[in-house]
Amino acid sequence: MTLSDETLMAYVDGELDATTRAEVEAAMLRNPELAQRVARQKALRGRVRLAFQRVVDEPVPERLLAAARADRRDNNVVPLRRKPQRSWSWREWSAMAASLVLGIIGSQIAMHFSDSTTMLASRGGTVTAQGVLSRALSGQLAADQTAKAPVQIGVSFRSRAGDYCRTFSLRDSSELAGMACRQGEDWRVQVLARGETVTNGAYRQAGSALPKAVWQAVEETISGDPLDAQGEAEAKGKGWRR
Amino acid sequence: MSAASLELREQIVGLLPRLRRFARTLARNPHDADDIVQIAIERALARSDQLRPDAPVASWLFGIVRNAWIDESRARGRQSKIFAPEEFGANVAAWGADEDMLAVQDAVSRLPDEQRVAVGLVLVEGLSYKEAAEIMDVPIGTLTSRLARGREALQAMLTDTSGAVP
Repeated sequence: MTLSDETLMAYVDGELDATTRAEVEAAMLRNPELAQRVARQKALRGRVRLAFQRVVDEPVPERLLAAARADRRDNNVVPLRRKPQRSWSWREWSAMAASLVLGIIGSQIAMHFSDSTTMLASRGGTVTAQGVLSRALSGQLAADQTAKAPVQIGVSFRSRAGDYCRTFSLRDSSELAGMACRQGEDWRVQVLARGETVTNGAYRQAGSALPKAVWQAVEETISGDPLDAQGEAEAKGKGWRR
Repeated sequence: MSAASLELREQIVGLLPRLRRFARTLARNPHDADDIVQIAIERALARSDQLRPDAPVASWLFGIVRNAWIDESRARGRQSKIFAPEEFGANVAAWGADEDMLAVQDAVSRLPDEQRVAVGLVLVEGLSYKEAAEIMDVPIGTLTSRLARGREALQAMLTDTSGAVP
C-alpha cells in the first residue's frame, strides 16, 4: 500500500478514522522510511506549535481586556471608546518610511550598531541592555546628564506591574531609541525603534523627543505619572528595585 | 442593534491568549498582532448579533481575527518587511537559546498568506480541518492543500536553517 503525503499529514493531525489510522500504523511498522516521514511531520508540527507557545503565557495587555469589557455599564457597544493611544496605531507610524520597531526580534538590530554591538543581548526571547546602555540606565539621571553622553535618558516611571522603566535614545549613527524596564538585575528592552521623533505634551521633560512607537509603549506600560527629578534620584538610590 | 452580552465579553476575555497567539502567527510584530486582536474584538462586539447560538465562539473569533488581519495588511501594503531574509538568517545563528523558535517564527512569516492562516489554525491552534476550513470559508480540500504546501515550504526553509548549524 502506498500512502500519500496528504494521508500522512492527516494522520499527524489526528484527522483519520480509526480504520485508516490503523492501516497507517501497520504500514509504519513494515516500512521504516514511511515511519521516518511521519516522524518528520510530527516534529514539524511540534516545532511550529512550540515556536508560538510562549504567547499564551504572556499577560494579556490591558488595552485588549479593556476593549473586550468596554462600555459594559451603559451597554452601548458601538461606537467604542477609543483610548488616545489608538491614534498611534501601527497604521500610522508604519506609514513613516523610516520607522522601525522591534519586539521579540529586537536583537537583530545589533548589526546596525557600528562599534556598539554589546549594547544589547538576546536571551530566552528577551532583549537585555548591556554595556554602555545598561550603565546609563542604571546610573544616569535625566536631570544632570550631559548632551554629549552616548546614551540620553528620557522619562523614568513605574510600570503597572511596579517595575521601573526608562526611555533612552542613542547618540550614535543608529539613531535608535527605546524603553527598558528593570527586572531583577537586568534592564529588559521592551521596544526599540527609530524614525521621526515627536514630543509628547504629557511628558515635558528632557529627552522627550522619541519615536511614536516608543511613546506608544510608554502609554501602554506607565502607571500614574513619570518620576520627577527627586523620584528618579530615589529610584536610582535603591538600585531601581521595586 | 444588539448589545454584546456580558457572557460573550467574558468568553472573549478567556480566549484572548489564543487569539493573540493566532494573530502572532499572522503578523509577526507583537504590537501589530495585538492591534489586529483589538480591531477584531471591536468588530466582534459590534456584530455580536451575527453569532449563531449553536456556533462555537472560538471559531467565530478566529475568523474575525483572520479577516481583520487581511483588511489591515491590505490597508498598509507590505511595509512590514523591514529586514531582508538573508540579514535575518545571518543573525539567527548567533543567537543560541531561542534560535529555533525565532527561525520557525521567521519561516512562518514568510509563507504566503493563506498557507500561513492554515498553519496557524491547524498546527498552532490545533483546530480540526473542518473547523479551519469553515473559518477560512473554503472546502476542506482547499484547506488541506494549503496546509500541505505550507508544511513543505516550512520543511524546506527550516532544513536550510538547521543545515547551517553544526
